[in-house]
Amino acid sequence: LAFVLRSLSSCRVLVVGAGGIGCELLKNLVLTGFKNIEVIDLDTIDVSNLNRQFLFQKKHVGKSKAQVAKESVLRFCPSANITAYHDSIMNPDYNVEFFRNFQLVMNALDNRAARNHVNRMCLAADIPLIESGTAGYLGQVTVIKKGQTECYECQPKPTQKTFPGCTIRNTPSEPIHCIVWAKYLYNQLFGEEDADQEVSPDTADPEAAWNPADAAARATASNKDGDIKRVSTKEWARSTGYDPVKLFNKLFKDDIMYLLTMDKLWKKRKAPLPLDWTEIHHLGACGTGLKDQQVLGVQGYAQLFHRSVETLRSQLIEKGEGAELVWDKDDPPAMDFVTAAANLRMNVFSMNMKSRFDVKSMAGNIIPAIATTNAVIAGLIVLEALKTLNSEFDQCRTIFLNKQPNPRKKLLVPCALDPPNPSCYVCASKPEVTVKLNVHKTIVQALQDKILKEKFGMVAPDVQIEDGKGTILISSEEGETEANNNKFLSDFGIRNGSRLQVDDFLQDYTLLVNLIHSEELEKDVEFEVVGDAPDKAPTPSVPEEGKNIANGNKDSAQPSTSSKAAEDDDVLIVDSDEEPSSSTMEASPESSNRKRKHHGTDTDDAASKRKRLDQQPADDDEDIIALD
Amino acid sequence: MEDNIISEEEAAQYDRQIRLWGLDAQKRLRGSRVLLVGLRGLGAEVAKNLILAGVKGLTLLDHEQVTEESRRAQFLIPVDADGQNQAQASLERAQLLNPMVEVKADTDAVESKPDDFFFQFDAVCLTRCSKDLMVRVDQLCASRNIKVFCGDVYGYHGYMFSDLGQEHHYVEEKPKVVKGSNEANDGPEAKKPKVDPNETTMVKKTISFSSLKEALEVDWTNEKAKSSLKRTPTDYFLLQVLLKFRTDKGRDPQPDSFAEDSQLLLQIRDDVLETMGLSSELLPNTFVSYCFSEMAPVCAVVGGVLGQEIVKALSQRDAPHRNFFFFDGLKGSGVVDYFGSK
Repeated sequence: LAFVLRSLSSCRVLVVGAGGIGCELLKNLVLTGFKNIEVIDLDTIDVSNLNRQFLFQKKHVGKSKAQVAKESVLRFCPSANITAYHDSIMNPDYNVEFFRNFQLVMNALDNRAARNHVNRMCLAADIPLIESGTAGYLGQVTVIKKGQTECYECQPKPTQKTFPGCTIRNTPSEPIHCIVWAKYLYNQLFGEEDADQEVSPDTADPEAAWNPADAAARATASNKDGDIKRVSTKEWARSTGYDPVKLFNKLFKDDIMYLLTMDKLWKKRKAPLPLDWTEIHHLGACGTGLKDQQVLGVQGYAQLFHRSVETLRSQLIEKGEGAELVWDKDDPPAMDFVTAAANLRMNVFSMNMKSRFDVKSMAGNIIPAIATTNAVIAGLIVLEALKTLNSEFDQCRTIFLNKQPNPRKKLLVPCALDPPNPSCYVCASKPEVTVKLNVHKTIVQALQDKILKEKFGMVAPDVQIEDGKGTILISSEEGETEANNNKFLSDFGIRNGSRLQVDDFLQDYTLLVNLIHSEELEKDVEFEVVGDAPDKAPTPSVPEEGKNIANGNKDSAQPSTSSKAAEDDDVLIVDSDEEPSSSTMEASPESSNRKRKHHGTDTDDAASKRKRLDQQPADDDEDIIALD
Repeated sequence: MEDNIISEEEAAQYDRQIRLWGLDAQKRLRGSRVLLVGLRGLGAEVAKNLILAGVKGLTLLDHEQVTEESRRAQFLIPVDADGQNQAQASLERAQLLNPMVEVKADTDAVESKPDDFFFQFDAVCLTRCSKDLMVRVDQLCASRNIKVFCGDVYGYHGYMFSDLGQEHHYVEEKPKVVKGSNEANDGPEAKKPKVDPNETTMVKKTISFSSLKEALEVDWTNEKAKSSLKRTPTDYFLLQVLLKFRTDKGRDPQPDSFAEDSQLLLQIRDDVLETMGLSSELLPNTFVSYCFSEMAPVCAVVGGVLGQEIVKALSQRDAPHRNFFFFDGLKGSGVVDYFGSK
C-alpha cells in the first residue's frame, strides 16, 4: 500500500466533470495522495447543485465549476497541483496528444455524447478510463482498458425514447405526451421552428383512416396543403398578435374539435373534451405550502397560460425582429408556459393534472440526486484507480451500488469485467456497421447530424463514398461541403449496398458504414441500425434492478420522455442529465431524454448476472462471477 | 420534530433531493438534531453528508487535537490548525457547507458526557469510540427512540452499525398497479395491466433492531449459528478483533508501529475467536496488512452509506439496512447483515 501511495504523487490524472461525482472525486484523489490533477467542466454553478456539489457555496453560483472546485480543493490541500479548464472535453484542443499526458482518465460526466467521445479518445491514446454514473440512490463504476476490457460502446446502449408524432399531436394518453407537446408548442410559437415538432392535429395519422387507401390519400393531401395549417403556427400566432385568448381557443378548443371529427381515433379511446376560454370561471387559485408543488385547477392553468404567453410575447418583442427564444427549465415564464399548456392538454384528454414541480421534472429531464450516492461512487472510483495504476486489471471490477441489498446480502456488487466485443463498432480493429435508410429521402445533413453525430457519437466526421472515385460527401472543414447538405444521398449515386468511409480525426476513429436502401421504414423513423436492440417504451412494469451506465439525456433533440421514477425502478445509471440552462457554455439546448428504464439487452445481461449471483451455492464466497 | 414550513430558498437548494425522497422526508430532516462523535476521515464524511442533507442541527464532538496526520485525513480542517481541537477546527468549513444547518463544536471527551447529554438528539453517530462506550450509549438511547449509529474505517475495511430501536416506523413509496381494461381487442388503445409511473402509494412499515451488546455477543457455539457461519461475512470477526485492540491499546493500529501492532492483532484474533469457540482460520493472517490507518476512499464509501442510513432513519422513509454494513475495499464488496436478537 505504501509503495502505491508513494508513486501516486508523480501520477497525472484527468477528471472529466466537476459536478456531483466530480467534487467528491477530487476530494478523494487529493486525500489519497494524488498530486497532479487536471479537471475540466463546461458548466457553471447553479443553486440546485448545492445539495451535493460540496466544493461550491451559494456565493459561487454562476461561476465556473472547474475553477471553483480547484480553488476549494487547494484550500485543504495547498500542495496539490490542479489545473482547471472551463471548457468542453469535446473541444478539438483536447486531442489524443493531450490525453496521452495522463496515466489515467476518470469520467464524472452526465451525458452520453461526452462519454462516447472520451471513450474513443482514451482508446486512441491507450489510456485506462474509469467510467461511472449515478441516479438517485443507484450508482455504478467500471474500468475500461483498450484490448483488455469492453469499451464504453461495446454493448449497444438504448437510445433516447421518442414518441410517434401522432401520439403527441392526436392521441396523447400520458402526461409526458402532453409535456412533450407543450415544449414543441413553445418552440413553434417562440423559438426555433422544427419540422419534427409539429403540434397541430395530424391528418395523416394512419389510425384515423377507416381504410388504408384513405390514409395514403390524406398523407399526400396533407403534404401538399401543409397539414391542417396553411400557415405555420408561428405565423398564425403573429397574425393574432400572440393574443392569449385566441391562442387558447385554437389550441384547446378548435384543434380539439377538429380531432373529434377524426372519429375512428375515439372509437376505443376516451374522446378529448374541448375547453372554451369564456366558459372557464376565472377564480384566483391559491393554496398553502410550496407553490411549485400545488396542482392548480383548469382555471389556474388557464390564467397561467395567459400570463406566460404575455410575458413571452414581451420577451420576443424586446429581442427584436426575427428573434427566437430558447426553452430553459430555469426560465420561469418558459417553465410556466409548458406547465400551463401541458396541464390544459392533460385536462382536455382527461388525465390528472400535474404540479409545476412534477412537470419540471419531466420537461427538464431532472434526475434526482443526493450527496451520499456520489460519495460512495467516487470512493469506489479511487479504489479502482489504485488497482488500475498498478496495472492490476484482473483485480478491477464493475461495481453496482443498489438501493437495497440483493438476496446475497450485497449492497455493493462487484462483477468481473467483460473482454472487448469483437464486433464493437468502436473498438474492433476495423469497425463496421450497417444502416438502413431511404437514399431518396435522406439528405446529407441528416446523415451527418442524426446518424454520424447523434447516433454514432462522432464530433467532426469526414465522409468518403467508396465509389472508386473517393467522392467526398462530407468534410469536417467548415464550409467545404455545405453545398451538399440539402441534397439527397441518391444524388451522389448512393444506393443499396453503397459503402461510406467515415473518419473522425479528433477521435482517431474510422467507421465503415454499409448502406441498405429501404422504403419500408416505420413512420417517423428516418434510419435503422441493423443489429441494434430495438427501442422500447419505458414500460415501468415489474422493475428489476437492471444496471448500466447509461448516459444520454443531453443528447437528442427530443424532450424528456420519462416520467418520475419510483425508487425501485429498473434504472439505468444515467447521468444527471438535465437540460442545460442557457448559462452553460453549450449553447445548443439539446433537450435531454432522461431514459430511466429499459428492457434492452443490457438489462437482461445484468439481470442474468444477478440471477447467477443468486444461484451461487451458499458456500461459494466468490464475489467474482465468471461469465462465459 | 417537524417544522412545517419549507422556505422557497430551501426548496431551491434541496430541489434535487426533494425530488428523490419527497417533501415530508425533507421536513423531518429539517427538524432533526444529530450528534456526531469523532472528526477524522469517516466523521468528516458523515458530517458533510448530514449537513448537505439539511438536518436542523449537527454537533461535532471530538476531544482530540489536530495533528498533521489527522489533518491530512480529512477536508474540513484548515492547514494551519495543528494543535487546535479537531471539532473546533472543523467547524467553520462544516458550517459553510450549508448555512441553514446549526453546526456546533464540542471539545469534551464523549466518555465524560452525562447520560442526559445524549437525550437532546434525535440521532447519535459514534466513530472512533470504544466498544464499552458504544454499548453504553446504545443502551441509553435506543429506549428513548434516539437512533444510534456506529462506524469506523480501518485501512481498506469499514463498517457501520445501526440500532433504530424496538419499533422503527417508516414508509416506502410503491408504484400503484393499474388494472387493464377487459377489452378483448388488442391495439394501441387497449390497456395492459401496468404500473402507472405517475401514481404511487405510501406503504407503512415497522421494523425492530437489536442492541449493539446483543449484536456483538452472538453465541457461535450452537448448531444454528455454526451452520450460518459460511454465509457470515468475516468482517464481523475482524471488527471484534479491532474493537478489542482499541480497548486494549487505547488506539487503533498505526503504521508507525506496524510490526508490534501486527503481532498484537494476530494474538487478539486468536484470543477472540477462541473465546467464541471458533477457529483462527476464519480470519487468515493477511488481514493485518489491510487494516492500518483510514483510507480516504473507504471513508467516502462507508461515510456515504452511513450518512444515508442516518438520513433514512430521521426521515422515516425507506427500509433501513439492518443492522450492519461491511465494506471490503479490496474486493469492492459491501454487504448488509444482521447480528443479534431475533
